[in-house]
Amino acid sequence: MKKTRKLLALLLVTVMALSACGGGSTPTTTAKPAETTTQAPAPADTTTQAPAPAETTTQAPAPAETTTKAPETTTPAPETTEAPAPLADWDGAYMEREDFQAYFIHDLQLMVEAIEDQLDDATYSKVMADQEAGEAAIRGAGTVAEIKEAYKEAFDNILMEIPLYDGVVSYKKESNEERTNILGILERFAVSTGITGVSLYENGAYVMYNPRITLGTENYIVGYGFGTMAEGAITEDLEYETNPDWKRYYHTYETMDPGHILYHNDQGSQVGDMFSYIAASFYTNFMNETKDGYDWVPELAKEKPVAVNDDDGDGMATTWKFEIRTGKGDGLKYTTGSELESRKAFNDRLVELEDYITPFKFLLTQANNMYRGTEMANSTGGAIAGAKDYYNASKDGFNEAAWEKVGVKAFEEGGKSYFQVEFAEEQTQFYCMYYISSSLYMPLPQEFIDLVGTNVDGVSQLFSYNNDKTESPVDNALALGAFYLERWDAEQQVVYKKNPNYVFADTKYQIEGVHDKIFPAAKEDPTLGFQEFLAGHFDAASIPKDYLDEYRNDPRTRTTTGTSNYKINANACDQATWEYLFGTEGVVKQNAKEDYWDLKPLMGNHHFIQGVSFSLDRQTYANARGSIASVEYLSSNYMSDPENGVSYSTTDAHKKAIAPLLADTDGKGYSLELARDYFRLALTELEAEGALKPGTKDKPTELEIEFAWMTPAQEESFFKEIKDFIETAFNDESVSGGVYKLTCVFWVGNEWSDVYYNKMMTGQFDFGYGSITGNSLNPLDFMSVLSSDQEISGNFTLNWGVDTNTTDVYPIVYDGHRWSYDALQGAANGTVVVSKGQKKAPVEIEYTELTKNEDGSYTGSFTLTSTNPEIIKVDVKSVVCCNYERYRNGDGEYDETELEDVKVEEKNGVYTVTFTVPAELAEDYATGSGKSEEPKGITGFDLYYDLTIDGNVSTDLIYGADDVFEVK
Amino acid sequence: MGKYVLKRIGLAFVTTFIILSLTFILVKLLPFERPIGNDAMQIAYFDKQTSLGYVYRFEDNHDEEYGEYLYRSPMDKGRRNYYYKVPVLEQYGKWLKNIVTKWEWGYSKSIMPNVSASVIIMSRIGYSIRLNVFSVLFSVPLGILLGIWAALKKNTMTDHFISTMVMIFISIPSFVLISFVLRVFCYTLGWLPSTWPPDTAPARMKAMGYIIPVFCLSFGSICSYCRFVRAELCEVLESEYLLLARTKGLTRRQAIIRHALKNSMVPIFPSILAEFIGLLGGSMILENMYGIPGIGRLFVTSLGHKDYDILFVDMAIFTTLGLLFGVLTDLSYGFIDPRIRMGAKK
Repeated sequence: MKKTRKLLALLLVTVMALSACGGGSTPTTTAKPAETTTQAPAPADTTTQAPAPAETTTQAPAPAETTTKAPETTTPAPETTEAPAPLADWDGAYMEREDFQAYFIHDLQLMVEAIEDQLDDATYSKVMADQEAGEAAIRGAGTVAEIKEAYKEAFDNILMEIPLYDGVVSYKKESNEERTNILGILERFAVSTGITGVSLYENGAYVMYNPRITLGTENYIVGYGFGTMAEGAITEDLEYETNPDWKRYYHTYETMDPGHILYHNDQGSQVGDMFSYIAASFYTNFMNETKDGYDWVPELAKEKPVAVNDDDGDGMATTWKFEIRTGKGDGLKYTTGSELESRKAFNDRLVELEDYITPFKFLLTQANNMYRGTEMANSTGGAIAGAKDYYNASKDGFNEAAWEKVGVKAFEEGGKSYFQVEFAEEQTQFYCMYYISSSLYMPLPQEFIDLVGTNVDGVSQLFSYNNDKTESPVDNALALGAFYLERWDAEQQVVYKKNPNYVFADTKYQIEGVHDKIFPAAKEDPTLGFQEFLAGHFDAASIPKDYLDEYRNDPRTRTTTGTSNYKINANACDQATWEYLFGTEGVVKQNAKEDYWDLKPLMGNHHFIQGVSFSLDRQTYANARGSIASVEYLSSNYMSDPENGVSYSTTDAHKKAIAPLLADTDGKGYSLELARDYFRLALTELEAEGALKPGTKDKPTELEIEFAWMTPAQEESFFKEIKDFIETAFNDESVSGGVYKLTCVFWVGNEWSDVYYNKMMTGQFDFGYGSITGNSLNPLDFMSVLSSDQEISGNFTLNWGVDTNTTDVYPIVYDGHRWSYDALQGAANGTVVVSKGQKKAPVEIEYTELTKNEDGSYTGSFTLTSTNPEIIKVDVKSVVCCNYERYRNGDGEYDETELEDVKVEEKNGVYTVTFTVPAELAEDYATGSGKSEEPKGITGFDLYYDLTIDGNVSTDLIYGADDVFEVK
Repeated sequence: MGKYVLKRIGLAFVTTFIILSLTFILVKLLPFERPIGNDAMQIAYFDKQTSLGYVYRFEDNHDEEYGEYLYRSPMDKGRRNYYYKVPVLEQYGKWLKNIVTKWEWGYSKSIMPNVSASVIIMSRIGYSIRLNVFSVLFSVPLGILLGIWAALKKNTMTDHFISTMVMIFISIPSFVLISFVLRVFCYTLGWLPSTWPPDTAPARMKAMGYIIPVFCLSFGSICSYCRFVRAELCEVLESEYLLLARTKGLTRRQAIIRHALKNSMVPIFPSILAEFIGLLGGSMILENMYGIPGIGRLFVTSLGHKDYDILFVDMAIFTTLGLLFGVLTDLSYGFIDPRIRMGAKK
């Protein structure tokens, strides 16, 4: 029905266009109007095909061919029957008026196309009418400014037709299919507004495997791989290997020796990868029977999680439990490769119930200084109830009282062993499995941790060397995973052997072991790893770019997808936006006037950014680097259906979202002619606005755009080709006739991270190279990094220019309503309050400072205003007075007192909480209980409350406010 | 003499102290790296840095005291943490105090977490020493022989050939030579191991593992010795006392062996000691490229990983050895040529 409706609308639009333009030619480039052709997306193997500007002429704004076939079916619009008013003189510098109009009409069409599926029939009709009127107005406009004004008016009119969403809502429990649709809508917004930056490539690779390896599958499974270790096999000896026991081990390499595999205390990925060889987790993934995906399989668990408190039957619960394997019930045993007598005692030691709790205690006890423990305590995704409070209460060591409230328990019931986990927020069964399946939670016996001891800094020597290197990680490790540590020769090799005690030892991981050579030279020269492979020393290696042509089609070669898409991120702020974000009072970072970034007019023009995107020959660029050309924001690794391994990149929602980037390009977003068209468009706009002034052919206006990178080496390896692409497109005679000259300049900082912290995250850049990766199983959550609100994005915003909590920058329409990006993205991940389409805090809290009473007591108050009193209710629990003076300026001890005199009044959703601090308490705390040498009276109040939003209760929320008592 | 030796050794330690102090301060002045990650990762990272003693954590702003904070955690229950880099001089003071009072050089933070820096150095130094000793044993005789041969055949085709080859090979950077040798002898011909064989490898393979590094490390030395010996010997061969020796009836061979060679070696033997130190430095690149777990590679790795305690011990070893060998070199002149008197009063 919608398709028919759309076709009719397009027919109508086209006839109007034909009438208005007096001939019906589709918008074309000014350079080659006669040669406009439709170019099918280039096939995937167009790797050596040189760009062909003469043939690949632009088609961006023109769906017209589809409509010219049947003009007789439409009735001419009334406007065309009237004699058109004479148009003002055309002031566009680099485009014909009709072409300029056509681009704005095209933008309007794209916008309607993006939202039409979400509109009801009545709204759709109104929108189409607005679009038609807008197109007519655009055609009737004479100057650049008039055309843009007509476009803006039509844009606003369309927006006005769609009601804004109001209410409290959550789409977290929707089906994967519906959530994928939401993701597509968000992605379309991101693509259309440019907040994704300009994607370059996905970090996939060409990998060669030794023929002696039988892969689990020949076709790469996104998010899983080829199943080399779990389902693969080795059928021949490795001749090069001198140790006869290791000839059938899988031979690979690391560029550095991490010196330990205590993943619990490491921040990189290498240790985690190495640890995963010896670790088992509650659930794991194995390839499915059809070898085209993977299944989630209980490993240490014996069944999938069962909800304990799914009271409303929606499949979500905070508490889940599942049966687990233990030594007593299932013969689950530890393995060690150590020859030390004290460690050998743990070989074949049965796994006990308490061992499941030990790793949680080990991680979360702050005194242990475990990096991943701190991260776990402070993370929000999949947080375990009580974990953070326990962490904060365990500065001096294990705290039994605080531990009681942590949401992990192991117990026996009916002769079976169970593990129970309570999350801070409700989770589905799948996310329960996902969050609880970290290898960090592999059971460990406490006595083993005690035996290996700690170093002089009090850090555990588990999975590490001891202080004097008399014990290696082999001695200080226990394994439950597919392998165990056999040898560790520092800076030479790490060897793992198949673990006979592994749960699936008989059916999976049939490879006898893994030999991990430490090969530092490969870090400096990646071709050496490949040379070693060719020499038969390793079983797999990715093909370096210099060897791609020779080995790309080798029968041993396979291709993999990547985990991240690399981009050049854009600072497209106008002066006012930049000032708001990064000015002297900036909400993101405050900069002194002299540190203000010199914003370039070009960067603030969306058509220029589009031109840059179209100018990048990604296929050539990626081919030269052995990666995958990509115009997309999310890599193939992001899942639409994580449980069944369906990549979001394969979904229709995604294909629709990125359609504007691919139309009339080589299939990877490259079209030299389109790029030049958009550059012409940008220059025409900017010149008409007075933002740019043309030079002459002999002395062109010099325009400079800076590209920030991570390392100096990237100038040669990455930047120069991009510079060449952009400059070739922009500086072509056909764009401005040589009156402008664009130069792309390279920037690099002292540290690789400077491009993030000193450039992109602080708005001090034009373009910046980088990528952020997130939870690939929950791309809807990951999309938060595109928000301009730093609290939502977690300070990960890399592209600037659009306020993502406004509803008028580009329409996001879902379920018949208009939303801001932040509102819909938030609703997809939890309950949010939406007012006029924008995301709002459910409760606004204000603190009123203390006043001293005659009797020496103090009175203060909190005011909590519910954003939506009908659905959002507040239940104030308590007010706690904190002795900060003693903590900060006294002896470091911290104490607090719950106030007894607390009154709560509610009126129309405004809760006034008035509290009184007794004189004695105030006097005591003012001096830090007499411990502060120079008392300043510093105190603070914690307001504890529960929040009910549409029946869903969030408990133990806290709002804190600092204040001072008078010091006598 | 004894006083002179003590004075030189004392000065060597003072120099070492100054070099290490400067190194410490300059290295610690490098910008503070921080990870790209969410607040949970940032907090974990900075708490880790706090526990390692690189960062201070406060609950309120200390900008006035320590400059701009490195990171500020989000508000949590009305509180947040501010993280500041510990002032360099404060770090220096602690580091120096630990060395002076406890002879404790610190512990590895990333290369081999937990392990004492000095233990790590001791476990690696053997590889470097063995490699360099073999290299000296290989390069010195070969270099001297080639030098003698070139000097004796001065201005002949042989001399020109040797001199030209020496000039060519002395100009080739070591990493180019290593790459070339690896590609030819390991990857193309497959005659030699392409990386340092592990300790578990058979003895024959381990022995073959020395060929490439010793050859590459020796190449520059051979050329240097050759040039040096040729120049010295040519000069001696043209000296008057050698002419006198010939006129006294010695044959050319006798005159060369008894007088020319002996005298030309006076400046050469001390240079062997200096060369040994030079080789230690040169082996940094080689050890990294060939995967030799020696202290040269450790130096590069510790710099890359900002594992400063290891870096400083490594630096101390190189500096001390360099300076002590300098003293030994000076002293050796006196033993080789009795006319030279160290520290003698005028």
